[in-house]
Amino acid sequence: MQQQRDSEKQVVIVGGGPSGLTAAYELITKHQIRPVVFEKLDKVGGIARTENYKGYYFDMGGHRFFTKSTEVNRFWQEVMGDDFLRRPRLSRIFYNNKFFHYPLKPFNALMGLGIFESFAIGSSYLRWQLFPYRNEETFEQWVTNRFGKRLFETFFKTYTEKVWGISTSELKAEWAAQRIKNLDLKSALISMFIKPNTKITTLIEEFDYPRRGPGMLWTIVKEKVEKMGGAVELNSDVVGIRREGNRITSVDVRCNGHRQTVPGTDFISSMPVTEFIKYLDPPPPKPVLDAAHHLKYRDFLTVCLVVNRDDLFPDNWIYIHDPRVQVGRIQNFKNWSPDMVPDLSKTSLGLEYFCNEGDELWTMADEDLVELGRQEIDRIGLANYDDVEDGVVFRVPKSYPVYDSEYRRHLATLREYIDSLQNFQTIGRNGLHRYNNQDHAMLTGMLAVRNMMLGEENNLWVVNAEQEYHEEIREKIDGEPQQVTEVVREVLSHVFTRLDPVAFGSSSGLVGGLILFAATMILVLKGGPVVGPHLELLSNFFVGYSVSLSGSLIGLVYGFLSGFLLGWFFAFLRNTSMFLHMALVQRRFELNALRNIFDYI
Amino acid sequence: MTDQRETIEQIVLTRVMRLNASIHGVVFGLLAGIGLFVATNWLILKGGPIGPEGDEVIGPNLFLLSQFFIGYEMTFIGSLIGFAYAFVTGFIVGFLIATVYNWIVDMREKQFQQSRQRS
Repeated sequence: MQQQRDSEKQVVIVGGGPSGLTAAYELITKHQIRPVVFEKLDKVGGIARTENYKGYYFDMGGHRFFTKSTEVNRFWQEVMGDDFLRRPRLSRIFYNNKFFHYPLKPFNALMGLGIFESFAIGSSYLRWQLFPYRNEETFEQWVTNRFGKRLFETFFKTYTEKVWGISTSELKAEWAAQRIKNLDLKSALISMFIKPNTKITTLIEEFDYPRRGPGMLWTIVKEKVEKMGGAVELNSDVVGIRREGNRITSVDVRCNGHRQTVPGTDFISSMPVTEFIKYLDPPPPKPVLDAAHHLKYRDFLTVCLVVNRDDLFPDNWIYIHDPRVQVGRIQNFKNWSPDMVPDLSKTSLGLEYFCNEGDELWTMADEDLVELGRQEIDRIGLANYDDVEDGVVFRVPKSYPVYDSEYRRHLATLREYIDSLQNFQTIGRNGLHRYNNQDHAMLTGMLAVRNMMLGEENNLWVVNAEQEYHEEIREKIDGEPQQVTEVVREVLSHVFTRLDPVAFGSSSGLVGGLILFAATMILVLKGGPVVGPHLELLSNFFVGYSVSLSGSLIGLVYGFLSGFLLGWFFAFLRNTSMFLHMALVQRRFELNALRNIFDYI
Repeated sequence: MTDQRETIEQIVLTRVMRLNASIHGVVFGLLAGIGLFVATNWLILKGGPIGPEGDEVIGPNLFLLSQFFIGYEMTFIGSLIGFAYAFVTGFIVGFLIATVYNWIVDMREKQFQQSRQRS
């Protein structure tokens, strides 16, 4: 019965990027459902696609393949096999005509900046550690609290504003916290007890990569889906989404000038959520339309240059903090994989310019952009103007959802409306307006399929690769399955809870008083010519105490008071030391993790 | 889902530790027993001055404990006896501290919750 119902499903997937194609692959391999995928470009991969120009492959954005998700990793290995290369990672920061190590190394960074600047940065760091912003609302405040204002303004501000085109005081802190995961106290404390995952540490120094870029992977996925009976239609732009009440009934697809209506029973979309809302027919309520209108994206274009040199620099990519040039990042695709170039005597570079659709850079003619690229690469000294023999421009609209001060409110409105649609799920970076990586996008595709086919209720809006990783690993405790995170939380709650000073002081005082009372009484009962001359010495401290019956009662009181003070002070010191220690552990852990901060910007 | 779980920060700042009385007792007992054992043998090995009666006077102050620990003396056998006495005493002290502590904490938490419910 279930099989019959499943076989009646007609699943339409909008978008042939990582999330859409993953959903298609899952549907066809695990559930024998043959979906149809509509991709508006002439190739698959979405914002993770790889462009080809005269045999040179250009990865749009640069996508390293590493994940903590077992399922995603299995997917990659299954699809790519031997075409997955293990590549060394090297990336640096170019600033003030100097290269700085990346991930950041404090000594290297400070020496590169100079003694005076280092001192100023150090002082600023101390000041902000002692008196941080109480509430971290903006990215600027978030970074300042961790690095100090001076270092933020010197190192982070220029590049971040180059990328996002808005002031760092406008960029929400939440975006940084979401992008840079595992900086919470729990993770820091876990790191004290659990040896770092060697595999993940290693992957910071090297990464996996398809021989000809991520496009190779997605092309193979497309071919597999088609081989098993699914359809992936390229150059097919979804320009209308029909609904009846809270059910989607069909999509309108424009292909080669023709328009057709494609019905379906279930719909999965990775198109930008703002476009989905725009194309809905009949349109949703006005507040939803307004909310969609207010969500923003950042776009970028890549000026791809072919340089007549076999070796320009060893980096996979370089962050360009230099304010003299507009280019934000430079990729050296031959260093990602030698198969990205047809001629090893040449080098292909991708100069990434962050911009907004329709702005001056975006609308500049391609030949002018190539000229700009040639001039800028020469100006910063990475290549000679005359060595550039060819160039092409690729534009990637809606690459990054923007987390400005208002986005959360608007996204909540959209989310509430979309969640009310019965047979529709939105996935992927732009479908969820969530700035996450390729593995997360793939996970949302996988989980959307599970929701649809298995009746699961995975909340795609809050999925992240870390959560999935933990959920895949089940620990049995006392016969009951528990998630690793719950076990760890329980252990940590026993290790790092505080001692109640009043209770500990009271119990110490009570026992202390009883000990002194008992000791005094034993000696009194024992008797002798001189009773307890040594214990009597306590009267130097406990005025009125004596080794006698009444003295034992006085001793009980003094013993209680002394024991209480000692016990209370012990608990107070213990708690204070513990909190300080945890704060130091967290701060050290954060700084170590934030050495990779530019990976997330 | 994640929002509803108690964060580790909340746990650390609000929850109060309970002490395991047996473990506490054993720890105190071991500390006291080993302390007295080591102190006794240290003094034995160190030796002492020759007393008025011609024999060595070792640890006269520590020996005062024999008023409470019958059979304890400044010899190796005595140090073993001292270990036993000190362990038992330490265990009782540690056990009592932990038990009374837990009892007081339970009482205070109950009062706190009652006052929260009233407000």
